[in-house]
Amino acid sequence: MMALITASTLSILSCGDSDCDESKDMQKPAISEQGIVANPIDCQVYHRGESILFHYLLTDDIELGSYNIEIHNNFDHHTHSTTAIDCELDAKKTPQHPWVFNRDYNIPDGLRSYEATLEIAIPTDIDTGDYHFMIRLTDKAGWQQIHSVAIKIAE
Amino acid sequence: MTTSIIATALAACVAGSNGYVAHDDSVIVLNDVTVSGQRQREFQMRSSQSTVQVSHDYLQQNFAGSLSQTLEGIPGVKAMSIGSGQSKPTIRGLGFNRMVVSEDGVKHEGQQWGDDHGLEIDQFAVDRAEVIKGPAALQYGSDAIGGVLSLYTNHVPTEPMSGSVQVFGRTNNEQVGLSAKLGGRLGKWFYRISTTLIDYADYRVPTDSIQYYSYWIRLKDGRLRNTAGCERDGNVMIGYAGYRFHTDVRISNSYSKSGFFANAHGLEVRLSDIDYDHSRRDVDLPYQWVNHLKVLSHTSWQGNGVRIDANLAWQNNHREELSEPISHGYMPTPDGTLERRFVKNTLTANIATHIDMSEHHELSVGLNSEYQRNRRSGWGFIIPDFKASSVGLFAMDKYTISESLKLNAGVRVDHANTIINSYNDWYKTPTTDGDSAYMKRSDDVNRHFTSVTWSAGINYATGHWVLKANIGKSFRTPIPKELGADGVNYHIFRYERGNADLNPEESYQMDMGIHWDNDKVFVQVDPYVNYFPNYIYLNPTAQYVEGLQLYHYTQARVLRYGVEAQVTCVINSHWETELKGEYLHARQQSGQKKGYTLPFSTPWSMEAGAKYSFKWHGNSFVGMNAHIVGAQHEIVPPESPTDGHWTLNLSAGKQISLHSYKLNIAMHAENLLNRRYYDHTSYYRLIDVPEPGRNVSIKVGLDF
Repeated sequence: MMALITASTLSILSCGDSDCDESKDMQKPAISEQGIVANPIDCQVYHRGESILFHYLLTDDIELGSYNIEIHNNFDHHTHSTTAIDCELDAKKTPQHPWVFNRDYNIPDGLRSYEATLEIAIPTDIDTGDYHFMIRLTDKAGWQQIHSVAIKIAE
Repeated sequence: MTTSIIATALAACVAGSNGYVAHDDSVIVLNDVTVSGQRQREFQMRSSQSTVQVSHDYLQQNFAGSLSQTLEGIPGVKAMSIGSGQSKPTIRGLGFNRMVVSEDGVKHEGQQWGDDHGLEIDQFAVDRAEVIKGPAALQYGSDAIGGVLSLYTNHVPTEPMSGSVQVFGRTNNEQVGLSAKLGGRLGKWFYRISTTLIDYADYRVPTDSIQYYSYWIRLKDGRLRNTAGCERDGNVMIGYAGYRFHTDVRISNSYSKSGFFANAHGLEVRLSDIDYDHSRRDVDLPYQWVNHLKVLSHTSWQGNGVRIDANLAWQNNHREELSEPISHGYMPTPDGTLERRFVKNTLTANIATHIDMSEHHELSVGLNSEYQRNRRSGWGFIIPDFKASSVGLFAMDKYTISESLKLNAGVRVDHANTIINSYNDWYKTPTTDGDSAYMKRSDDVNRHFTSVTWSAGINYATGHWVLKANIGKSFRTPIPKELGADGVNYHIFRYERGNADLNPEESYQMDMGIHWDNDKVFVQVDPYVNYFPNYIYLNPTAQYVEGLQLYHYTQARVLRYGVEAQVTCVINSHWETELKGEYLHARQQSGQKKGYTLPFSTPWSMEAGAKYSFKWHGNSFVGMNAHIVGAQHEIVPPESPTDGHWTLNLSAGKQISLHSYKLNIAMHAENLLNRRYYDHTSYYRLIDVPEPGRNVSIKVGLDF
């Protein structure tokens, strides 16, 4: 009983501090294909020397943070996959000169929706084979969403 | 269902307290320690803090697999599961470096900051334990914010030779273990030796797959791959116990090896060529091993109205994490499997003197000093090399106005120096100017910290009541990871940046203790309010660094409050019911996460149980309880809300005396209905691993 009184008194007190009606961001941002033709998507095949035209819609209920694109090889068939689709994989192999791409991008302040577009050139001297194209997105509050796309780089 | 359990327990309680004729030998059975109400009240008068004593019998009868799991019966104490069936204790939601584990009065120094490091103590060597809930900086210095778990392994044998052998097992992870103790007293000299051997297989969860990052990890037979392991402990102690002079030396070594869940080392999903499913008892990569060697000496001298205690200790904690070498980001595939090695040496010297100023007045003065050195190696970097030294001086005063009114107050000054060595990556990372560099992950840091802490309390007894109040300040010196980290934590897949300007974390806490008993009914309520002006918080930011989300150490104002309550009713000489619960609320009041709670917030929980004791070829009991845990929607990134759950648990025990031998049998069955649920405070909650399914622990011990 005492416990209940103490606890409820304290919670009323703390509500007085305007803690209760503060609007906290409790939702993760989203990496979406809504209303656009998203690119890249699973199982696409690209060629060395071409460009990957990145296009996704990034949204959040309060405010977007920033995003990152990272590309690494999947020659060992490891997985970070976030999709249910299984693309056909080449045989396992040891990387010689794999493509490593890792870049952080800012999103202008105050946005809830942002159409991200980038042109990423595929180097001509990299190993061909299976790659993971990772999209990481944060919102201002620090929630993170990850989307992984499996692509193949051919000659 | 939950309501009816509570209602039944309460109804039984009320019926018991009102309708039953008191027996002459009626006793309160608290935590299975049979003590009368009078003795309970005496114990409550001893300290103005919320303390719980855990006897040898309690540890024997409530064996639940690991020491911290056994102690979960105490409201406010939780075992935070860290995978591999291991767990580490938390008190009132605070764990890691915000609580102290001490052994025979010396602070245990492992790698307590780590997410997946267990206790590294032979729990079967423990004679008894004491839990202090609340600030205990006066006696323990830095870190004793949430509380202290004091373990005692220094019981002096009374017989020329006595000992025990225990065999134990648990079904969930097919654990088998053996522990043997031998001790004796020859005149004023005594000795003790003990050993514990434990082996366990992969643990089981009530699911056939785990979903993480939308990826389905299928489990074979519901087993978490590669979570098997073993533990090997040994202790030797010799001592001299005279009338005024006592001294003992104890050497203990605790070794454990355990696998990490193979499909998610840290929080990264992994596939491997290793055939983990060929055996459930072997340990493949990734795994960890820890060896903790401790040499501890305790000496005391008792004069007329004065007592002096001195503790000296050396601890060597060697820990390695091994995993398959895999390139990541700009890190090429490393040579070998040694991902991390930490070797930490700690020297401790404590001296305290207790002086009886008068019959009513006791003064204690003491000095604590500690020196530690930590060296790292391996291709994965989390914490830099460091040296840390600290010295603390305290004075405590106890004043007994009468047997029913006691006052105490104390003050302490600490000074600490932390020297961190810089660290650079062993591989190059491209820089913005088109060049590449061995990135610096930790700077040279040399910081001095001074902290003044204090505490004051009052105990008052009247009739059936004991009322206590305590107010105190405690602190924590920032750890090297918080000061110096600047790099990718591959273990949990985020970029962590320390803050060399952090100040010692301070905490103010007010505790109350309300106790009432009439030898049939025992009531204990412990509310508290806790305020941190500068809680050290690892804040998830919106920023990316080198492809990973940046987590940055900051300091924020935090308010926490909560309550633990317990009602025990002895209905008659056979039946006893118990209802206990806890509630905790935490709120960040400043900084970027203002309005949010703290990570791993403990949800409310309640336990209702009944126990039937009977004599049948010796003392026997059977008990059943329902454990109910509320949902937790108070979360911070990257957590997910967790639903509430309840489990049904059964325990039974029997003691048989055969001549001079005593046979103890204890059985404990958890999650009888094999329900699938998540524990919000579990490390593995973040990767959606449910808690273990039905688990039966059995222990048979022979005392001679």
